[in-house]
Amino acid sequence: MKSAWAIGFVILALALGARAEEPASLAEPAAHLNQIFAEANTAAQRGKLPEAAKRYTELLEAGVQDPDVYFNLGTALAQSGDYPGAILNFERVLDLRPGDTGAAENLRAAERALEESRAELEGEASIRRNRSISDAIYQWVTENVLVYALLGSNFILFAVLGWAWIRRRRGRLFYASLTASAAVLLFSAAGLATKSGLLRDGPRAVVLGDRVSVLEGPDPRARTRGEARGGDRGVLVAEDGEFVKLRVIGGPEGWVEARMVGTVPPSARRD
Amino acid sequence: MRFAAVLSFLILSSCVAFDASAADAEVSVSLRAVPDEVRVGETFSLEVRADVKGGSLESLTLSDLRKYPEFEVVSHQTSRPMQVSFGFGRGMEVSSSLSHIYAMRALAPGTYDFTPAVAVVDGEKYESQALRIIVVDSGGSTSTRMAPTPGDTEESLSGASFNQEAFLQTVVEPEQAFLGQQVNVAVYLYTRVGVASRTVNPTKPKMDGFWVYDEPIQNLNGDLATVNGVRFRRYLLSDAAAFPQRTGTLTIGAPKVTFDTGGQSIFNSSVRVDRTGVNVDVEVQPLPAPGPADAFVGTVDLEASVDRDSVQTGNAVTLRVQASGVGNIQDLRISLPGIDGVRALQPAIKDQRRSLGGLLGGTRTWEWILIPETAGEHAVPSIVIPFFDPRTAEYGTAATEPMSFVSTGSAVTPQPPPQVDRLDAPPKTEFVFGPLRVYSALSRSATPLRKRFWVPTLLALPPAAFALLTIGIGFSRRRRRNQTTSEATQRKLLDQTREALRNQDPRAFYDGIVAAIGHAISARTGESTGGLSNAELRSTLSVAGFDEDLVGRVINELEGADFARFAASGVDADEMKRCLDRTSTLIERVRRSGRAR
Repeated sequence: MKSAWAIGFVILALALGARAEEPASLAEPAAHLNQIFAEANTAAQRGKLPEAAKRYTELLEAGVQDPDVYFNLGTALAQSGDYPGAILNFERVLDLRPGDTGAAENLRAAERALEESRAELEGEASIRRNRSISDAIYQWVTENVLVYALLGSNFILFAVLGWAWIRRRRGRLFYASLTASAAVLLFSAAGLATKSGLLRDGPRAVVLGDRVSVLEGPDPRARTRGEARGGDRGVLVAEDGEFVKLRVIGGPEGWVEARMVGTVPPSARRD
Repeated sequence: MRFAAVLSFLILSSCVAFDASAADAEVSVSLRAVPDEVRVGETFSLEVRADVKGGSLESLTLSDLRKYPEFEVVSHQTSRPMQVSFGFGRGMEVSSSLSHIYAMRALAPGTYDFTPAVAVVDGEKYESQALRIIVVDSGGSTSTRMAPTPGDTEESLSGASFNQEAFLQTVVEPEQAFLGQQVNVAVYLYTRVGVASRTVNPTKPKMDGFWVYDEPIQNLNGDLATVNGVRFRRYLLSDAAAFPQRTGTLTIGAPKVTFDTGGQSIFNSSVRVDRTGVNVDVEVQPLPAPGPADAFVGTVDLEASVDRDSVQTGNAVTLRVQASGVGNIQDLRISLPGIDGVRALQPAIKDQRRSLGGLLGGTRTWEWILIPETAGEHAVPSIVIPFFDPRTAEYGTAATEPMSFVSTGSAVTPQPPPQVDRLDAPPKTEFVFGPLRVYSALSRSATPLRKRFWVPTLLALPPAAFALLTIGIGFSRRRRRNQTTSEATQRKLLDQTREALRNQDPRAFYDGIVAAIGHAISARTGESTGGLSNAELRSTLSVAGFDEDLVGRVINELEGADFARFAASGVDADEMKRCLDRTSTLIERVRRSGRAR
């Protein structure tokens, strides 16, 4: 009984500590940010798409990382014909809020629009966007859910082990609890590794400019190794000044200008 | 007779063709100096050239040749090649050239303007472009390359860290430059030790922020130089022309070199030498204001031509624009202004690089395919390139002459220009995006949950608690098991003692008493007490925390038992029984006393 109280106290203290650690900005968004958001929405509804995109970008530059802002920015860009930019922002929405069906539908629409407009010009078109199996498995689960699942399953697993050690009983219930908690623990740990990019060589990236030269070195004079198209997906494996090293899915790997690439999440690249 | 008729026909047709071609002669007259900036005392080449196709060149003159006494004509060379060609439908075509090449020496500094050279073809005058030659004082600053003069000279030590045996020097000229101006970077190895030339392995300095052209060094040729009163042999390791791409202080990194000395004979083993130079800073200034934002840095001349004056509508005309000059000519960009009724394809670009008196320059040529889509005269507007000459710190412009060509025939349906680099074409399907979200929590970027300190803490807590639990319970169980084993042994010893009492065997009885007490003490203290004297045992028990009364009783009992073992005949059964009771009590007290180990 005493030990139960002690554990409860520790968890409570940690929870309070976590609460105290949260930034104040999470509690209440500033009024002027709300005003910018409203102005951006008004501009978008009136068809002033460049102005709307500019205002949404102001919010992001002010530190806002909200999936709804990314969604509206992606929508404004898509409506103005910047499909690679729209794809990037819809991808960011899905990274922050994996179950967002609206963002998923808009992402698919932006990809189809990009492919169709490119096919109009060039006869055929495709976007390199293959996801890894792990990305596909965990696309519907947020990182925070995985963290809580990891903590909970970890607690249950060791509680079951401790109970069995004290009581010296290993019945069916013990094995069932042990197997279930271990399975959840492994699943959530693998998911966190996937989400945080541990299983990749770097953050996910989307090519923004069209016909971006993939160079052999971080220098505009370097020899061209290949070409990446707007909307192509890849992995950002290195950075060097104004250049980043991009591994295009199903395409070349090389250096491209940093401004031609956006990452998911946006903070994955230092600015 | 037949032969004479054929011959006369040929002569007649040739004359007709010759006359016809002379009517529309193509004439090109040029005047140029290489280089066009020299120092006093240096020689340069002045070339006057006329190329005539389908006409008769009567004269070619440069009236200003003797105008300036500040130039001395060192030599003069004239060449007059002629080429005669026949073509189906064109008859005979005569191409001729005349060029005068003067080797001239500059005698005084100044800026000298030459009026255009004049060629007379079939009675008509054709002029070249004008020419300006700049002569600078040999002691004054100039942007031409300041390669250190070969010879046994005293050298300054900027860009180097002096070493008595060998060191590297980076010579940068100029150290203050405009954005895009050529900066010459040469790396020299000064050495007083013999260098095995095949072993020299230089590492070029890092030149971030520059557009660099390297001059490969094929052979190591040394000259003599004196630095700080010490004579060195000096080798040029690398020679580069660098064009700064941003303003501010740009740093040219330290060069490195490794080479072997000696090794020429078995008595002279080779030694590897490593040397590193020093960083050199270059101050890069922006181009002076006011001035065009996209000015080319250097000097440039433009020439443009179309390959035909008239064409069938829908057929192609080639527009050729050639830019020649000094500077990073590969960085030169021009865009063709729009021409009404003409579609222009992407140009083919060719570059030729050359070094003119230490300054990099060359020629860049654009060739556009122009396709007229409507009939009529199409004007090709002038193409203008603004440039900034860092030597005079002045802006200028180079421009092509406006031209035109005529297309005849019916108009063709205009085709949209190829748009491979843009995504202007809207998709056929109408895609609907949105709807916009009118509410947002506007949550700011926060530390991801997995990176908060309490997550790893909470994650580590269960396994840590489980580990502590395992260790604690295991230790407790082991202690309990040991205690149980010890008590069982003591009970067994006391049982054996009782058995000895029943058998009236005092020796075995007291042996059992001593063993039982000894085992109880050993189990409690963790030390064997078998070989200890009474004094040592007393000390051990006191240190182990037993109270004095218990210690005294234990010692007395052991002494009594020892005495009785050797005088067993004098011990009666009652005494043995009392001794057994006392021993049981003592063992029980020993189990509860002292500090267990």
